[in-house]
Amino acid sequence: MHFVLEQVLTGLSIGSILLLVALGLSIIYGTIGVINLAHGEFIMLGAYAAWALKTYVGLSLLPGLVLIFLGVGLFGWLVERILLRRLYRRPLDTILATWGVGVVLQQVVRLTAGGDLRYVELPPSMASSVSIFGVEIAAYRIFIFVVAALLFLVSWSIMNRTTFGLKLRAVVQDRNVASCFGINADRIYSLTFAYGAGLAGLAGAIVSPLKSVSPEMGTGYVVDAFMVVVLGGVQSLFGTVISAFALGEVTGVIAFLQNDTIAKATVLILIISVIRFRPQGLFVAKVRA
Amino acid sequence: MSKPPQSPLRQRATGFWQPELIGIVILIAAMYLMPSVLVDDFLISKYSRYLVFGLLAMALSLSWGYGGILNLGQALPFGLGSYCMAMALKLRTIPVQTGADGLPDFMVWNNVQQLPWFWVPFYSMTFAIVAGIVVPSALMGGLGWFMFRGRVTGVFVAITTLAMLVVVNLLIIDQQQYTGGFNGITDLAQLTIGGIVFDAYNRTTFYLIASVASVVLVFGYVLSCTKFGLILQAIRDQEGRVQYFGYDVASYKITVMAISAAIAGLAGMLYTIVMEFASPTFLNVPLSLSVVIWCAVGGRGSLPGAFVGAVLVTGMQGALSESKTFLDTWTLVMGVLFVLVVLFLPSGLAGLIGQLLAKIRPGDGHGQNGTVDVKSSHPKEIA
Repeated sequence: MHFVLEQVLTGLSIGSILLLVALGLSIIYGTIGVINLAHGEFIMLGAYAAWALKTYVGLSLLPGLVLIFLGVGLFGWLVERILLRRLYRRPLDTILATWGVGVVLQQVVRLTAGGDLRYVELPPSMASSVSIFGVEIAAYRIFIFVVAALLFLVSWSIMNRTTFGLKLRAVVQDRNVASCFGINADRIYSLTFAYGAGLAGLAGAIVSPLKSVSPEMGTGYVVDAFMVVVLGGVQSLFGTVISAFALGEVTGVIAFLQNDTIAKATVLILIISVIRFRPQGLFVAKVRA
Repeated sequence: MSKPPQSPLRQRATGFWQPELIGIVILIAAMYLMPSVLVDDFLISKYSRYLVFGLLAMALSLSWGYGGILNLGQALPFGLGSYCMAMALKLRTIPVQTGADGLPDFMVWNNVQQLPWFWVPFYSMTFAIVAGIVVPSALMGGLGWFMFRGRVTGVFVAITTLAMLVVVNLLIIDQQQYTGGFNGITDLAQLTIGGIVFDAYNRTTFYLIASVASVVLVFGYVLSCTKFGLILQAIRDQEGRVQYFGYDVASYKITVMAISAAIAGLAGMLYTIVMEFASPTFLNVPLSLSVVIWCAVGGRGSLPGAFVGAVLVTGMQGALSESKTFLDTWTLVMGVLFVLVVLFLPSGLAGLIGQLLAKIRPGDGHGQNGTVDVKSSHPKEIA
């Protein structure tokens, strides 16, 4: 029993990180339909921002989060304004363009901050561990779980309970008709993209104490995030949550039984099969036609 | 570029003497003239590598530019071809540390007692060369069958191919005892066919690669002119319409994936000969995405364009890589350039040349550069 609980908690921990990194991507892809391959680099920017704030300004991680969210969000807004809006009619090219942006970001960070690994300190208040039914788990992992859950709730509320969300859903359903009703579709799209990018930055900052921070760190995350989004179904935030935790548990179990590599390969094969046999994802949002 | 020879019978957009073919002829001539300009054998070896990349980019242009299939896993068939050649060459070495039956050294280090069954046929060079083409082709064709029979399209094709690449890469690194793992397969023998030794720093290797590249370029061009090639381009532009005409769209796409993979596998084998090793980096994500850049810069819709794009980009990269700072800045410049090309020049340098040609001779441009025009004026349909 103790062992099962340990596995479940490990899975939940992996799952909450997955949800955190995938949420921004899910929102951008689910609404604008842009495959943002620079998502990993947005995460990387967030992690570096956390490191830079601590090193140069002396601001610790938690108070810095708001600044990081706004900063990376602003950057995302610029990318959308300058680049992506010219490519909405060529969806495959948005993959290429955002990947180019990713390469540039990686290189800029490598040239300015150096290619070495950086480490971000855990907030001292969370360095302890907590015992849940006899299983020790780091307090910070619980914090991540709570933050991921909160961010999901906030995002869901924005999409479904605000005027902005209403407009966004209208634009997603039919851009022309929405424009006829006086909705500024361009503005909605750039704000949404900025929000998604900001979430990515936030994710990067929050996971930075657990992993080493390097210019290449984004690549792994973008793959993971994609897997979550594809599995969950593109237009469903709930799907994203379920698939994040499902993938977390599956990865945890296979990694325990075999090794990390096999776990990763298995998950990828699983995703390929999902794309093939259920292209709409496992959990589809019911959209009224 | 000179005026294309007029052939009265072939005046339509499907005509044989297109700017495309003239580009190929010039390119082939330039390849064979290169050794007389480059005196240094080291430079020759470098250019051999660039030509291999050209071949790889051309293979992608066939599936991406002509078939509209954005294959982000193009390094996968390339790497597999490379490993096939490396396995055969490894078995021809006289190992320093020998186990039973001249076991490759990394297997000895990993306590493998007996040569694995799938290594055994690689004692035969003929088998290795055939395998280097057939294995990648079958794998990508199979992947194509899996995707296109299920009507997977657009970005999902890109993601699936990328994921497949990562899976195979992970497995090759993980199965160290059979593949050499992270280090790859090193310390190879030199390829010898019919008494000719193909040393990496040797002109024979260069000519081998140039000849293979020439043949493949012409093959690709002829293929694009056949009915198969035309239907493929039609699928790229209007998949639904082609389907309504009763064509089996999926099998055309599967075939072009397999052909493109076969060429990539061939390029991979040549790459092993030039580099004298095979490594998991030959089938990693950065290389695979680089191929896409080369193709985009040179012109995805043009076979010689993609080829030249690869040679130009890797050539400049190689020229600047002597200094560390330059190399770093180069990646930055490359990224910016790539974004600009995607944004403003979707048909690449070849498209630019095509547009210029159309401006120079607006009168007889009718139909002569039809293929170029179609690609440059409707970028969104390529996408």
